[in-house]
Amino acid sequence: MRKYLFRRLLQLIPLLIGVSLISFFVMHLAPGDPTALFIDPNVRPEELARVRANWGLDQPVYIQYFVWLKNAVLLDFGRSYTTGQPVISEVAERLPLTLLLMIPSFILTLLITIPVGVISAVRKNSWFDNGFTLFSFAGMAIPTFWLGLMLMLLFSVKLHWFPAVGNIILPLITMTIGSLAGLTRYQRAAMLEILNQDFIRTARAKGLPERIVIFKHALRNALIPIVTILGLSLPDLFGGAFIIETIFAWPGMGRLGVQSIFQRNYPMIMGIVMFSALLIIIGNLLADIGYALVDPRIRYEKK
Amino acid sequence: MGLRRFSILLICSLIFSAPLFAAEMDPDGILRFSLGGEVSVLNPILSTDTASSAVEGAIFTGLVKVNEKLEMVPDLAERWEVSKDGKIWTFYLRKNVKWHDGIIFTAEDVKFTFDSILNPKVNSVRRSDYIIDGKPIQFKVLNKYTVQAILPKPFAPFLIHAGMNIIPKHLLEGKDINTAEFNRKPVGTGPFIFKEWQSGDHVSVVRNQNYYFGKPLLAAINYKIIPDENSQLVALEAGEIDDSGIPPKDYTRMKSVKGIKVFEFDALVYTYLGFNLANPKFADKRVRQALAYATDKNQLVSLIFRGLASPAYAPSAPISWAYSDNVPKYPYNLEKAKKLLKEAKAENLEFTILVNQGNKDREKAAVILQQQYKKVGVKVNVRVMEWSALLKIINAPKDPKDFEAVIIGWSLGLDPDAYSIWHSSQYPKGFNFIKYKNPEVDKLLELGRTTMGKSARKKVYARLWKLIAEDQPYIFLWYPKAVEGVSERVGGLSKPGPAGLFLNIEKVFVRK
Repeated sequence: MRKYLFRRLLQLIPLLIGVSLISFFVMHLAPGDPTALFIDPNVRPEELARVRANWGLDQPVYIQYFVWLKNAVLLDFGRSYTTGQPVISEVAERLPLTLLLMIPSFILTLLITIPVGVISAVRKNSWFDNGFTLFSFAGMAIPTFWLGLMLMLLFSVKLHWFPAVGNIILPLITMTIGSLAGLTRYQRAAMLEILNQDFIRTARAKGLPERIVIFKHALRNALIPIVTILGLSLPDLFGGAFIIETIFAWPGMGRLGVQSIFQRNYPMIMGIVMFSALLIIIGNLLADIGYALVDPRIRYEKK
Repeated sequence: MGLRRFSILLICSLIFSAPLFAAEMDPDGILRFSLGGEVSVLNPILSTDTASSAVEGAIFTGLVKVNEKLEMVPDLAERWEVSKDGKIWTFYLRKNVKWHDGIIFTAEDVKFTFDSILNPKVNSVRRSDYIIDGKPIQFKVLNKYTVQAILPKPFAPFLIHAGMNIIPKHLLEGKDINTAEFNRKPVGTGPFIFKEWQSGDHVSVVRNQNYYFGKPLLAAINYKIIPDENSQLVALEAGEIDDSGIPPKDYTRMKSVKGIKVFEFDALVYTYLGFNLANPKFADKRVRQALAYATDKNQLVSLIFRGLASPAYAPSAPISWAYSDNVPKYPYNLEKAKKLLKEAKAENLEFTILVNQGNKDREKAAVILQQQYKKVGVKVNVRVMEWSALLKIINAPKDPKDFEAVIIGWSLGLDPDAYSIWHSSQYPKGFNFIKYKNPEVDKLLELGRTTMGKSARKKVYARLWKLIAEDQPYIFLWYPKAVEGVSERVGGLSKPGPAGLFLNIEKVFVRK
């Protein structure tokens, strides 16, 4: 296992370089440049050219990339064009707030998905199952921004339970409902499939109590696809965070990222892409380790 | 008897006046502002975004400032003089003004501020405001409280640029201004002192007891960053913030919300349909005039803004002192439009209008114009593009540029000078991206910026607007109104106008 981990961590290096190379050039392919934001009839084009040159944007793109890479290796990601502050410190300020939202939402989702999926499968077509099916489809169909605004109108304007902005409860609920909707369906389907397998019939035939059949034999197997999906849905959480952060005025990294893209704030975009890539790679690694824990058929090294 | 009545009266007045006074003003009141964008940098010579400027307005002050009537009035400068030739401006500074850290403000700070803007290493795009015909304005310290600006030639809009907020020399000298720690922990001379800034969340400032126009009535201001327009409104309704802009679609609803006062006022902005005159399709003036006749501006305004905008006819705004209504207006007339198109042999005209994605008003306008022009047989295609991509096309320094027509807007300065928009030298590099050229307009633009005195300049601009409207290089579409909702607990607002409701922020207060 240790050897496997070491190998996976080594793979990080080419992976991150690849990510940086692609994002850097794609970013520069997009039309526009950071000084376009200054458009104002009183600003002369030569002033914009001067600021661009101060930022090194008058150099060919590949040279700009090597300069960036050289500094990035030394963990210097440059300074934001709009604030003049180091990219690292801006990300360090915003990332914890995004994680503060994502991690509890992730845990809540897991805590709700698994029992709901299991019960829905075991009591297929019961009122509970049908009720959650309806909830899931509604959850998938309702756009996050709309759900967020409705929750705000209900809990902040009408009931005065939570503040509309700058409070974690409503964004957390919105985010969790969004990810619950799909995942409970997956968990239900996985569980249903397992329950029809021969080994479950064997377990029941042996006279094992239903509780053990379901939680020990069936659930452990039904968790495997869920682990995969959870690993893959990490980037979605980042993307979803942007909309939720914008609506609830939550000062996280998602918002910083999208704003940087609109501003063509190149150093900031690169910094955020690299941090997100790192987090996603680590997330997937954790998912792979998770497999080994839940699936006895998967072992990452020969003993 | 008389005495008794008096004492009853006195008691009554005591009973009623005490709570009344308390309801009037909260000495510990905190105003909660909302900002639609992220604050980027709290240094007035660097910042270009409205969120940063809003906060800077409470912390910093300049030599002169604008009043409700959009006139320039004394601020850090008590008074000023202009030499007869209009080239030397002498500013006499207010004495005993202190920076928030206790150091005395002097003429050295003024010179330092303008010299920093002019320093090519400093990423300030304001630099061009202080360069006239390629030559920089020189700033000279005469003594501790007198500073002179020496212009290479007379330049009427200078006084507005002299209103730039002043930054402290003692904290920034010898530092890299672009990256200075100061930009996150600013020190100014204004009514409020910077307290804290949590990136992306809020900035707060507290009362400056020593402010030279008197102690502010508010104890503090909290600027909350709420990027989503709808969330801002919800927060205003829920009583979490005291002020928010209101989009036209929510206007009627917000007017009926209890505890919120809705203000509407004109802004110094106009939206237009600009034609690429380098394209042969639009070279003939009659074609542009025909399209102007075919444009039903009243319909545009009522469909898009439900009345919260007014039709535009000239490249100035009605609230500008240099506005003139005496221009050809091309009132809606399909017959005249058809006739002119026929004369210009452009009956089968077809062209594409570019609009930027995300600006719903402009997107709607393009579609409505498409329908309106169809009535005179002109086919319009609409192309929606991302803002940066659109700017890249119109800013490309080449002749001709790759567009036919575009719907876009200009936000006007306080001064009517429109040289950079209309002068033929501002093409292909510059903001005359439609390649407009009229020698008389060029001359008047030059005259407008070198003439001193409002009444003389007013005549120049009246003639200028008339000439431009006659040529119709743009079809002027509308003047949007700004709509703002303010909580009823807020008092001391200034008269609604383009300078904003919080112009005299030291006089604003909140009720208990």
